[in-house]
Amino acid sequence: VAQDLKALPDEALVLRAQADDERAFGELVGRYETKVYSLAMKMLRNPEDAEDVLQETFLRAYRGLKSFRGNSTFSTWIYRITANSALMKLRKKQLPTVSIEDADEREAPINIADWSPGPVEQLLTLETQQAMSDAIEALPAEFRQVFVLRDLEGHSNADVAEILDLSVAAVKSRLHRARLKVRNHLTRFFNDTRGQKAMGARS
Amino acid sequence: MSCKEVLESISSYLDEELKEEIAVEMHKHIGKCSDCRAEFDTLTMTIKLYKHSETPQMPAGCHDRLIKTLEIETMRAKQGGGEPDPNPTGV
Repeated sequence: VAQDLKALPDEALVLRAQADDERAFGELVGRYETKVYSLAMKMLRNPEDAEDVLQETFLRAYRGLKSFRGNSTFSTWIYRITANSALMKLRKKQLPTVSIEDADEREAPINIADWSPGPVEQLLTLETQQAMSDAIEALPAEFRQVFVLRDLEGHSNADVAEILDLSVAAVKSRLHRARLKVRNHLTRFFNDTRGQKAMGARS
Repeated sequence: MSCKEVLESISSYLDEELKEEIAVEMHKHIGKCSDCRAEFDTLTMTIKLYKHSETPQMPAGCHDRLIKTLEIETMRAKQGGGEPDPNPTGV
């Protein structure tokens, strides 16, 4: 019977779960738990917080399943619950000074050092990964949601808009600003580390 | 196309969402302007780096704890203690 459930599409499992078939809900949990955990972890950068969000997401899904009408797909719905649970957690933790309006964008390019040449594998050291993580942590929560869903999880702009209940134009605008902020963070990191290495080589 | 316009459109260019004639203009500008090229190259590499980063794995025991929580919730619901949530997404 478990084999039968595996062959069913999400929509059929949702219908069964709505009719109190616990195993059907269990199959949905199995299909989405790693994705939910991954999204929560990428947004919160902390395993305990990510596990809290994982538990909260499926509890809310279980309790709200009967109100799910299929206006969106189950996957969009579960990501929406995850993204909102993670956002609530972030808002509780983030300093109030970090605001969505607190932008450090520029209207014209400045002469930034181009740290990009070279293969990805060579740039992607442990220190770089830490800097990438720090850059996400420095993003205001609303930017972080969009950046993680789009550039880390690989959803399309239209999917992100549906998950977050935003217009596609709003997603694009937040994404662009988030990318600039993250890039500026990495530029500062590469300038600092390369500056230090150059100083070390000279002395 | 001005540097300001290039800066505003870099994300759309990377996502291949610009009209072809604007994308061509932008490509030309980047070919000539080293500041905009650095902006473009570093932003491209930023996105590439994040795409290469590893997917976090669920820690040991995480799945079992989730199932346990859901089992307790199922039992509560069966005993009439569970509250159905009319708006689980919180939107």
